[in-house]
This record gives sequence, structure tokens and C-alpha cells, in this order.
Amino acid sequence: MQHRNNYTEIEDFLADESFHLWVCFKDDQQDWEEWTLENSSRAKLVEEARLWLFAMKTPDSDLSAEAVQNALEATWMKIETKEENKNAIAQPVLKLWKNQWFRKIAAILVIGLLSGWFYNDHFATKNSALTYNELINENDEGLVEQTNNSDKPQIITLSDGSSVLLQPNSKLSYPKIFVGNERKVYLSGEGFFEISKNPQKPFFVFANEIVTKVIGTSFKIKAYANQPNIEVVVRTGKVKVRSNELIANSKDELIVLLPNQALRFVRKNLIFNKITDITQDETLSHSTSNIEQLGFEFTDIPVAQIFKTIEQAYLVKIDFPQAKLKDCYLTTSLGDQPLQEKLKIICKSLGNNSSYEMNGNQIIIISDGCN
Amino acid sequence: MKKQILHTETLDDSILWSNLKKGDEKAFSILFKKYYSHLVRYGNSFIPFPEKVQDCVQDVFTDIWVYRNKLNDSVVVKAYLLACVRKRITRSQERDRIFRLSTSVDSIKFLFDFSIEHHLIADEITADKVLRLNQLINDLPSRQKEAIYLRYNQELTVDQIANTLDINYQSANNLLHRALLCLRKDWKASISLILLLFLTAF
Repeated sequence: MQHRNNYTEIEDFLADESFHLWVCFKDDQQDWEEWTLENSSRAKLVEEARLWLFAMKTPDSDLSAEAVQNALEATWMKIETKEENKNAIAQPVLKLWKNQWFRKIAAILVIGLLSGWFYNDHFATKNSALTYNELINENDEGLVEQTNNSDKPQIITLSDGSSVLLQPNSKLSYPKIFVGNERKVYLSGEGFFEISKNPQKPFFVFANEIVTKVIGTSFKIKAYANQPNIEVVVRTGKVKVRSNELIANSKDELIVLLPNQALRFVRKNLIFNKITDITQDETLSHSTSNIEQLGFEFTDIPVAQIFKTIEQAYLVKIDFPQAKLKDCYLTTSLGDQPLQEKLKIICKSLGNNSSYEMNGNQIIIISDGCN
Repeated sequence: MKKQILHTETLDDSILWSNLKKGDEKAFSILFKKYYSHLVRYGNSFIPFPEKVQDCVQDVFTDIWVYRNKLNDSVVVKAYLLACVRKRITRSQERDRIFRLSTSVDSIKFLFDFSIEHHLIADEITADKVLRLNQLINDLPSRQKEAIYLRYNQELTVDQIANTLDINYQSANNLLHRALLCLRKDWKASISLILLLFLTAF
């Protein structure tokens, strides 16, 4: 017991069990009382250590002897079930496991399965479910991306004069200027396309797993990354749809769509469902936007009203000299023309040095009145 | 003499332990009754589900009996049991977290609070000091608190603490050292404050 004479720190006392007994249970077999009084600096240390012990009590256990007994019985039950299981399964397996050959075969099997799984996991993601980002990474033309985070559709005009009405929560990537023999854009979400005619340069829309090829038409594509289906709805012209060749197990299937036909692509099993009459399809007929409903066949219609129709269709704002164009009436068919083409045709019809300027969704018509 | 007390205790345990290994059900039951509530209390300081904790502790004992042939001879039973319970609860928590798809899988927190030996405190000044000290201890980071608990309430050695917390000896030592250093510093500051308050009050 003499080593307590070397105690210099509170923790020396805390770690001493007989000190515990003395402080907490007044059990002073080691004559702590006397030892403490021998020396005043020692007494100070002991007093501190006492306070520490007082402050470090462990809360009493609320388990009764009966509860512990019950727990013990429960544990014996658990042991019984576990030993039964162990004897039933573990013995033959263990015996088998002790066989060298079995171990070798098992190891080979495990490695084979793992590598198979790894291969699948690694390449299967590429096989199905192409995402917008993967598609964009495939392209090296230096794309511009436009995202519509607003709650209204947004008009995008491409360098070839084609226009795209991009719905909220959608994005479109396209080259600033189309070069080469193809025009390629990438869509995630929903957009209504009006493509300017150019048979020499076919226009491609890449949307998730499918590719839509057109020459000059208007159509809608709905391809949200988080939805099970992709939809293509044709308004005018002819549209060809095939699956993206980046998908390894794609079928070389080409679907041709004509006006008022549509296609639903089931992404999970890569199946095309052609819908020959869109008015018959519940979901499609409900989800048409303004631009798909509005007609662009005008016969002797005030130009102000034509502008209003365009404003509604493309959600743009058109400023025009109302007084000067008050008496202008037009007869024209603007059905499958892109927005800029429509404006060009109108300005041409108005004559008199009429022209338009477009700035985002603001369009200004400059005109001195019609002929 | 102190050595002797500790010695008889560990001797007792080690005899029970080796009997248990030989298949002595009585030894198993004695150890179970001796440590069950300790272990449950320790387990309860990690997760607020008393039934689950009891389940974990019972599973620890179940495995000890079922796999008694593989048990190590030279263990300090109490330290071994505490470590087993801690590991088991940590593991069950991690499993739950995976199922809940939560992101944090960091080590479990020691939520235990030390209490005060009220019935041993006679005067007000002491009561005030002890209360302050108790708050300081309970405000320690949870790992430091756990180290203190294992060292001074469960009387584990630093080596056994390191084993229980799954860290190396030096880390366990540092943990304890830092806790005590921090306590002593704050304690000195607050003691003078308490004394000052009392002096001005009278």
C-alpha cells in the first residue's frame, strides 16, 4: 500500500479501488483517513479526488435480479436455436469445406462470378439507359447548352434558322454554328422542334436512347431522364426514328412517322410503340401545348392577329407599329416553318422595308405599313 | 493490497472463464449474472433502444457459449465483454444505417451522462463544486468521456481501453490524457469562480 505515497495526480487516486471503497462506501480497510491526515498537501489532493469521484458516479442499473435471470434464460434459448442451426448446416458444409478440391473449385467459381458481374455492371450501364450527359460527352463539336429553369417554355433559335420551344426543366445542347453535313442537337426533357428545310443537311435530335432524323418538319420530343418512356409526336412533315447505336443491344429498327402520328419508346426494354392516331391516345392528347394546337393557316387575317397567334405559340413578345399595320391583312400558310421563317415570310408579305429583330423572347417588327 | 484485490477478482474471472471453456454451464451463468447489467448500461449509452441493447448483449453471450472452443484463454473477461458489446452495437448500427441509406457511418456516440453521489455530500460549497465538475465531465467530447468511463468506472487498463475502442495504445493514452488535461484546466478556472461567488455572497 506504500505506492500511494507516490500519488501526485488526481487520476492516481481515481484508479485506486480501495480509494473508491473508502470514499463511496466508507470502507476504510487501508486507513485512508489516517494516511490523508499525515500531510496537509496530501489532504488537499485527496479532497480534490473525492470531489471528482462524487461527480463521476455511474447511474444505478435499473435491472432487477429477476430481469437478469429472465435475460439469462432468454440467452439459453438463443444458444439452443443457434446450436441446432449450427449442427444442421455447418457440419456437412464444414466437411466439404475441408476438401482441397472443393475449395479450389469454389474459388474459381467465385472469381468467375465476380468478374462476370463486374463486366456486366461495367458495360451494362452503357448498354441501356443512355443519359444526356453521356451523349454530350460523345460529341466534340463544342456545344452550347441552354437550360430552361423558368416555369414557361423558352424559344431557342438555332444557327440554321430552326426554332426549338424548350419546355421547363429541359435542356438543349447544340453547336453555335452547324458545320459539316449533319445538324445534331441533344435534348433532355421536352421540346417542340420546327426545323428549317435543308435536304443536304439532315437534322438529328439525340434524346436519351433514341435518335430522330428529319429534313424539315415540326415535331415534339419528350425525353426526360427520369421518365420510363420517350415520346415523339409529329405535326408536319416526315420523321425517322431509330435507337442510338451506342446502345449495344439495340435493334436496327427504323420507324417512320407521318403527321399526327407518334411514337412511344419504352426505355426499359428498348421497344418502339408506334401510335398512328394521336387523338386516340389518352396521355398524348392531353399533353399538347399551345404551339401544337394553334393553326398557322391564315386567310385574310389582320396581321395583328397573326402576331398574337405567334406570341401565344412561342410565348414571345412582339412589338409592332400598331397604327401603321392596322389595315394589313395577310393570307399565308406558316404551318411547318420555324419561328424566324414565319417572321421572314410575314415581313416579306408586308413589304415596304419591313424587317424584324429578335432578342431572346422579344421580337421587334420594324415596318412602315403594308403595300 | 490494492494489487491483491484486483488479483483475486481477475483470478475469479479467469477460473470461471476457463471452466466456461470446458463447458461448465454454471460458470457461464455466474459470469452472465455478474456482468449483464454492467454491459446493458454500457450499451444503453450508445443507442436509445434498451430492448435492442439487451438483445445485443444476449447475442454476445450466446456466441461466447456456442463458440466457446475458440475463445482465447488469457483475456480479462470484463474488458473482453465490454469490447464485444461495443462492437456488436456498432455493427448493428452500421447495418441499420445502410438500410436507411443514410450517409454518415462514423463511429457511434457515447451518450452516457455521469451523475452525482448526492447522499455523500454534506455542505453546499462541496455540492456546488461537484455539480460544476460533473457538468465539465459530461461536456467532454463523447470519446474522451467514454475513455474516462472505461478507465475509472469500469477500471480497465489503458491497454484494455485501446482494445475496446479499437484504437492503438498511444491513441487511448492520448484520449485519456487530453480529457484529464482539459478537465483540470476548466476545473481550476471554475473553482476560483465558485470561491469568489461565495466570498461575495457572505
